Amino acid sequence: MGTIYITQDDAFIGKTDERLQVRSQKKTLLDVPMIKVDGVVVLGRATISPAALIELLERKIPLSFLTGTGRFLGRLEPPLTKNIFVRSAQWQAGENSPQAVHVVRGFIRGKLKNYRNTLMRAQRDASDPNSAAVAKLAEGIRRLEHAIAPINTTDTIDALRGLEGAGSAAYFGCFQHLLRAAGFSFTTRQKRPPTDPVNALLSFGYSLLRHDVESALNIVGFDPYLGYLHTQRYGRPSLALDVMEEFRPLVVDAMVLAAINRRSLTPTDFSTEPLSGAVSLSDDGRRTFLRLYEQKKQSQFKHPVMAKQCTYQEAFEIQARLLAKYLMGETDQYPPLVLK
Amino acid sequence: MIEPDYIPIAALNHYNYCPHRCWRMFCIGDFTDNQYTIEGTSLHDRVHTVGDSHREEVWQIRAVWLKSERYGLIGKADLIESENGQWYPVEYKRSHRGEFDNDELQVCAQALCLEEMTGQPVPVGYLYYAQSHQRQLVNLSDELRQTTIATLEAVRTLLHTGTMPKATYTPRCKGCSLFQACLPQAVEKVGRYREAE
Repeated sequence: MGTIYITQDDAFIGKTDERLQVRSQKKTLLDVPMIKVDGVVVLGRATISPAALIELLERKIPLSFLTGTGRFLGRLEPPLTKNIFVRSAQWQAGENSPQAVHVVRGFIRGKLKNYRNTLMRAQRDASDPNSAAVAKLAEGIRRLEHAIAPINTTDTIDALRGLEGAGSAAYFGCFQHLLRAAGFSFTTRQKRPPTDPVNALLSFGYSLLRHDVESALNIVGFDPYLGYLHTQRYGRPSLALDVMEEFRPLVVDAMVLAAINRRSLTPTDFSTEPLSGAVSLSDDGRRTFLRLYEQKKQSQFKHPVMAKQCTYQEAFEIQARLLAKYLMGETDQYPPLVLK
Repeated sequence: MIEPDYIPIAALNHYNYCPHRCWRMFCIGDFTDNQYTIEGTSLHDRVHTVGDSHREEVWQIRAVWLKSERYGLIGKADLIESENGQWYPVEYKRSHRGEFDNDELQVCAQALCLEEMTGQPVPVGYLYYAQSHQRQLVNLSDELRQTTIATLEAVRTLLHTGTMPKATYTPRCKGCSLFQACLPQAVEKVGRYREAE
């Protein structure tokens, strides 16, 4: 089970019997049974045969297109499920309804608690407890606690957005102290385009995460465009961005930090565009990153609510199902995924 | 929701197995294969080759559509046989007998259709179990007929209203292909869960 990433620019995606094949210049790059494929992500340019396209649609396997640098372009997806009950519950929880406030609290609490736990782990693992870095981490943790504490008594989504902003600022304010490899530094979160390697990796990772969370929401029957925390702008999958929040630190930040600190990626894996300063990964670096992301998604942990082992890939769907159960009135809370 | 004119016979079987599974399959269009459903499908691929033939004095028709206006039922029979002017349905199953009683309901619903289509009483039907190659006689008693009709009415109400029957965790959940979608223990588990501070 897994997502297939196609990074070869002139690749051809075809189908033989029950297998998906990726070929390039008369060489077979990949040959896997369809039943093992959860999703296909094309980075850059690739062609796909009509037979493979139909097979993906029939098997409800989403196909996403990203630019070579990981910017999301669009996706081809089977129709929404017939599960009108989930979508109807999703719509009925309108902006600032008690349910909307409840789930937004969950998304933000999940994200900020996971941020805090990341910083606390770094603090515990630090070799010198009296260093300036540890002091900065302690300061970040304190500021995160201040943002987390009022969440459950804050009743408007705008005010909750403010807490989310304050918490994120605290976390990224000490993110540089989580980096332990020479040649990498972080000052602030930069997007569109990212102008340093760390930001480039974070942006790329969030783009992949979005593909996966959106797929999970689609499977469960949600309309990914109707969200609660992210509602201001149309034309973006707000609910996918909402549910992503609690997973950002757990999946992407964790794997980006591991890739850097374990030196799976080094500064030589990046190149900088002239003028704009946009930083992107080399072909080799990108392959390494995709492999690490896939490994992270398939890694197992004990789900605190379901009390059993699952992978992050499965957790995307579990969280979507728990959200559906809350919105449909089956449960009286949405529990975000918070991991120590 | 558009009123379904006819109730699929298979829905009765699923409803008897688990009303929530029936709702997932017929109201929200959820379906996932597992080991059991794949075995069942490949068995039926073999059985469902339309055609008729004779086995000595028995006339056999395979994969035939059955319908009842009186009960508003529709479905496909694996095999219908006629012997000495007596019609009866034979339903194929992958496993062996005795797990649950939902298969008898299905045979009975087929018989109700067959009675209306032929104008003759159908007192018995059969279940054929592929694993043991055994045919099991199903006596279409008044009691079974009443249970079948009562289940049919429950399914009709379910499909008309779309109201979700509660998911309850039972030993049957183990073999259900929709377990991952249904998460029947989730409500209880979420209720007990206390998030770490």
